[in-house]
Amino acid sequence: MLLAFSGVYGVLTVGLPERSLPNTPGPAFFPWLITGGLIVLSMALLVQSLRGLGDTERLAPLLISRRGWMALGAFVAYLPLVPVLGFLTASVPFFATLTLLYGQRNRLLVVVTAVVVPVLVFVVFRYGFQMLLPRGLWL
Amino acid sequence: MGDVLAQGFAQAAAPSSLLATAIGSVLGIVIGMIPGMTISTGIIIVLPLTFVLDPSISIALLLGLYVGGMLGGSFAAIMLNIPGTPSAAATALDGHPMVVRGEAGRALGIAVLASFCGGLFSALCLFLIAPRLADIALGFRAPDLFSLVLLGLTVICSFAAKSWIKGLLSAAIGLAIVSIGQDPVMGTARFTFGSPDLLSGINFLTALIGLFAIPQLIGNLGQTGSGAIVSVAPATFGRVFPTLADLRRMRLPVGIGSIVGTFLGILPGAGGPIAAFLSYDYARKTTKNAPEAFGEGAVEGIAAPESANNAVTGGALVPMMTLGIPGDPVTAILVGALLVHGLAPGPLLFIERADFAYGVIFSFFWANIFNLIIALAGLRVLVKLIAMPRTILMPAIAILCVVGAYSLRNSVFDIYVMFFFGLLGLGMRWLEMPVVPLLLALVLGRQLEEHLRVALTGSQGDISVFFTSPFSVLFLSLAAVSIVWSVVSSQRSAGGAR
Repeated sequence: MLLAFSGVYGVLTVGLPERSLPNTPGPAFFPWLITGGLIVLSMALLVQSLRGLGDTERLAPLLISRRGWMALGAFVAYLPLVPVLGFLTASVPFFATLTLLYGQRNRLLVVVTAVVVPVLVFVVFRYGFQMLLPRGLWL
Repeated sequence: MGDVLAQGFAQAAAPSSLLATAIGSVLGIVIGMIPGMTISTGIIIVLPLTFVLDPSISIALLLGLYVGGMLGGSFAAIMLNIPGTPSAAATALDGHPMVVRGEAGRALGIAVLASFCGGLFSALCLFLIAPRLADIALGFRAPDLFSLVLLGLTVICSFAAKSWIKGLLSAAIGLAIVSIGQDPVMGTARFTFGSPDLLSGINFLTALIGLFAIPQLIGNLGQTGSGAIVSVAPATFGRVFPTLADLRRMRLPVGIGSIVGTFLGILPGAGGPIAAFLSYDYARKTTKNAPEAFGEGAVEGIAAPESANNAVTGGALVPMMTLGIPGDPVTAILVGALLVHGLAPGPLLFIERADFAYGVIFSFFWANIFNLIIALAGLRVLVKLIAMPRTILMPAIAILCVVGAYSLRNSVFDIYVMFFFGLLGLGMRWLEMPVVPLLLALVLGRQLEEHLRVALTGSQGDISVFFTSPFSVLFLSLAAVSIVWSVVSSQRSAGGAR
């Protein structure tokens, strides 16, 4: 995976402009160094795991619980909704979902905090600190 | 000099700065003592605020949080035997047995006082060392600066990684990410794929929010039960302020912890946990005839690591303030918070904005003083907050991550970038690859490239320029030593595991 990333990065580096002055490093110079470093280190990691020297041959299981995956799903749904519905509208159901996932069983508390906290954050930042948070397409 | 000092003091002693320091201290203590929460997460919560506040107030808030977070981590270690921060692990060894004995107040009081002494000592060292080091650093040329930044990167790699290859790979990925956008010398667009959002590159604070907060939010979901962490109700709290006998026993371990902590704090990458355990070990070796054995609630066993982990904070500010080299994630965030306001930490800060630089140092003094006052006065109340439910705290952090990422440039694109880095952080955790080198590469990458290219342009491509300057040779040698050290320790631990 890392070798593939190094390869893609190297291919993209080929497309960068050449140096403009003789004997001086151009914009592609540093990316070429990084490409070299990535390839050498990825190869070293590969060799190390093949020789059984490191612990790479025994990758730990991806420690994300079922609720963790659901929270990631909630993020994936929430983020595109922020510019469309606005921070406030999108945050209320997102907050409620996360509160439930974190184990809150009191439904009234879920609803109250899901409304109060995003509103509080919006008011503090919008009116307290004059910070413009996304307000949605219809506002 | 006197004028600058007076201006710095006035900046740190302004009511708004003092209030920010006090708020930061309370927040830091509360966040630090909640198991699973790190100081970095605490700083992410207040990060959006720092974009709109005056830089002197922002830095006072962040310093209060930094210092408070260190102490808060120890509260959890003492009360629950669960270190709130990695640095507090050594404090739990003797702190918790004292709580079990029914002396919770005594254990916490010793920790608070030792923290204060360690913090104050490191603040004094910061005040004395930083301006002199900045003077020396002013003489650095491009090759020296390149070698210095390289040293910063290699040191953190060697300490942050269980596997040195993974540490260096993490840094290389960070450098690849930092190469996105306009190059720092000629302004040529690189890896932007025609997107104007990528032209100014990836802001490292956006990346940091994702890298630290998202994996923590997701990871904590695997640990939740009812939502509340644990109830904390010691049978007897006892008196908080240490007795005269305790104070006498604290003198030597606090002295050891303060010196070790400050020194290791100055070394990028060494950090609090090493300082705390080293001090604990030294204190054990130098203490004779203690009424309690170490590991069973000894005063010295709390005082030494506690003074050390708070002394690390002042030590870590020395390279950050004078050289612009952050030694840990928290100081990296501080660098970012200053850059947002157009203030670049480094030797020039002591020339161009000496008043501000001294203001930061004085704010650090205040942070330690507020920490002492708030912790001693509100100890009984603060300790109850350990049981604060995560069911509200974690979702609140999630939406604050979005606010923080968005408000940097008022850009929805940055929210997606933040989430991308969250996924990257989860992936790196799975691959057991440390994220700190990546973060440091994001902070230092542009400087590394800029100094390298300026040096090579000046020498017409002759690389011997890096081996003719004494400073450059010194930094490159130290970088080589740190890499060799990490390779050797990595192979030793691999051998030990077999």
